Amino acid sequence: MFGTAKRTMAAIGLTLGVALASSAQAADFPKKPVAMIVAYSPGGGTDTAARVLAKYIKPHLGQRLIIQNKPGAGGQIGFTALANAKNDGYKIGFINVPSIFLVKMLREGVPYEMGDYEMIGNIQLDPVVLTVPADSPYKTFADLIAAAKAAPDEVTVGGDGPQSNNQLQLVVAEDLLGIDLNFVPFNGSGPAITATLGNQIEASVPSASSATSHIQSGNLRALAVFADKRYPFLPDVPSVAEATGVEVPGIGASMRGVAVPKGVDEDKRRKLEAAFKAVVLDPAFKEHVERMGLPLAYMSADEFTSYLSEAEAGVANYVELLK
Amino acid sequence: MLENLLLGLSVMMTPMSLLAVLAGVTGGVIIGSLPGLTSTMGVALLIPLTFSMPAEAGLAMLGGIYLASTYSGSISAILLNIPGTPAAVATLLDGHPMSKRGESTRALALATFGSSIGGILSIIALFLIAPPLAAFSLKFGAPEYFLLAVFGITVIASLSAGAMEKGLMAGAFGLLLSTIGAHPVTGDLRFSFNSPVLYDGIPMVVSLIGLYSIPEVISMVSRKRADIGKAAEAEPRGALSYLPEVLKQKLNILRSSLIGIIVGIIPGVGCSVGGFLSYDAAKRGSKHAEEFGKGSAEGVLASETANNAVTGGTLIPLLTLGVPGNPVTAVLLGGLMIHGLRPGAELFTLNADITYGFIVSLLVANILFVPIGLIFARYCAKVIQIPTSVLAPCILALAVIGSYSIRGSVEDILIMLFMGLVGFVMNLFAVPRAPLVLGLVLGTLAESELARSLALVRGDVPAFMMQLVTRPICIVLLIFCAYALYQGVVQHRRNPQLLDD
Repeated sequence: MFGTAKRTMAAIGLTLGVALASSAQAADFPKKPVAMIVAYSPGGGTDTAARVLAKYIKPHLGQRLIIQNKPGAGGQIGFTALANAKNDGYKIGFINVPSIFLVKMLREGVPYEMGDYEMIGNIQLDPVVLTVPADSPYKTFADLIAAAKAAPDEVTVGGDGPQSNNQLQLVVAEDLLGIDLNFVPFNGSGPAITATLGNQIEASVPSASSATSHIQSGNLRALAVFADKRYPFLPDVPSVAEATGVEVPGIGASMRGVAVPKGVDEDKRRKLEAAFKAVVLDPAFKEHVERMGLPLAYMSADEFTSYLSEAEAGVANYVELLK
Repeated sequence: MLENLLLGLSVMMTPMSLLAVLAGVTGGVIIGSLPGLTSTMGVALLIPLTFSMPAEAGLAMLGGIYLASTYSGSISAILLNIPGTPAAVATLLDGHPMSKRGESTRALALATFGSSIGGILSIIALFLIAPPLAAFSLKFGAPEYFLLAVFGITVIASLSAGAMEKGLMAGAFGLLLSTIGAHPVTGDLRFSFNSPVLYDGIPMVVSLIGLYSIPEVISMVSRKRADIGKAAEAEPRGALSYLPEVLKQKLNILRSSLIGIIVGIIPGVGCSVGGFLSYDAAKRGSKHAEEFGKGSAEGVLASETANNAVTGGTLIPLLTLGVPGNPVTAVLLGGLMIHGLRPGAELFTLNADITYGFIVSLLVANILFVPIGLIFARYCAKVIQIPTSVLAPCILALAVIGSYSIRGSVEDILIMLFMGLVGFVMNLFAVPRAPLVLGLVLGTLAESELARSLALVRGDVPAFMMQLVTRPICIVLLIFCAYALYQGVVQHRRNPQLLDD
């Protein structure tokens, strides 16, 4: 009898204790440094962006943000690690959209679902641009479309790939503009730009951030940016709708946001969200990323979540064309 | 020109900048000599630290790490037969036999002076003739890269001295291993056993650690090499006394530097290929070709001079065109951008002070790693006197930590151990391992560039063949390939005992 009562008491006490402890935890969260998983190698664009964030977030978060690189398999290893991470709020992740969808949709046996994450906010949006060499006969997007219609599958367009966000953007554009281009994958936007500079290919679809300096210096000409607005660092480059009159959704734009594994305490999530929002508004941080040419596009947790469910449907429509 | 040099000097000669170079070089020497810590990782991890430094000091530090770590991979290669970086594989072929002969100091001195001279010559090329060389780098399209990789593969003949058939087998196995992972153009997964860690192929550094350190540990444990310590003690000469020997090999140094600079200018090829090609050229041009692979001073010098000459070469397209040639320079590009510096003509006019300051800091770094490297190496040399019962477990632990740290992945340790087993079996049957590394390095390049070449002509094979015989650089490379094969076969016929003991 006594034994059972004691055990019940103990159980109640334990539950109470745990509940108290967890709310206390949320109140003084974060008590120790927070680790952020980055699904790409040290030194890459995503990693550098994450490290700049980490440098400026400390006063807003109250703790250090530590970058943990889990590169490999186009992000799959890092995204999976985030999905399986402990949901105590001390393990968060930098996620790349649409890569996180593409990995899931194009491969078999990918062990994560979008439902495994909860969003904290989006930080950046880096659209795809269409560029040609400075001496190219294509002065406008219309010239290139005319050439592609005259000779389907003849115009070579390089870009990061295969099965990248850049290729996705090109495939969407080809579909909506009714053209057929010869996409040639390169080992990243950088090599695709190099090949364009050297006239090895007729055009390329790099990320705007990696092409900006070459466009500004006049070595590359940008025909359009695949976004509904112009790109802030390239105000003279028309958006795709301005250049062609056709609305091409910018679902190939590479977004970098922050997410946590499902089930993190709501208070902790709010704290993280507030910290990331504060850092994006921080003038010192803004100045730094502007010098690096990284475009900020903050979205709150709710905005980011609804953007993602919309984007997922959009990507799903086109994913067959990438296979 | 002179005023630019003076401008650079005036920017660089501040205590802050000099301290930054010193810190970079010291860090770089340590990073490079530890297998598993790569130049890329060192530069990437230190970039945030440079955010808050003045631009010239930050860049000086990153440059110091890059140059010093490219050089110091040779230290562990020579002393322990374990290359600290992929670029040191060709150094190991002769450097370690020299060390076993009791000539550790000589081998380290050759590597250090060679690296320094190669590095300095490449920085001079960067300083004087960067723009025309940069234009050359853009002439490389997919067909050129493909033929360059094929030419690189012919170096197998030089790397398998004494065992041609075995060398070819090892090379073919390396090529086979390089096909693991996603197809470079279609993205199809091959030999990945549904394991995401294999989707990107076998990581180069991880396999290098396994291939070289595990067999070394096994042979230490089996007490095959208890004798190395005392051999090393019988060497009273200081490192500096070997400088005249280095300077005597003018032709070798010039040839190796030239090869290194050219390889460096071509984006995406890298330090290890520079080392291999120059080793090959040195062997073909040497009067004592039979010594290569058995502790030839010329071999060590050729490989080390070239792989550091690559460093200046890679900076040419980086600074003039904003085109990074390898992962380290890609990270450096990020470092430039953070300080608001945009590569191109502007860098040499508007920001001339920082740019020339950076170039001068690279010269300083190339000189500075000589004393730092030699002092560090002198302590490292004591490593081989450590009883093997202590050294073997330490190397094993370092191998595990090193392969884990690359991607923070436990599976990489398993890949490392698997490659260790491969290395052990190869050692057992006296199969040379360098051709395998060469196959692994160049297989990916050859395959992806072949696939890309074909994609560019929409799969039209005759059109691709036409390109190979009509594009000027392709013609030159084809002639090189034909000559290398012809010479290999002739040498093999004429002198079979030399190549197949």
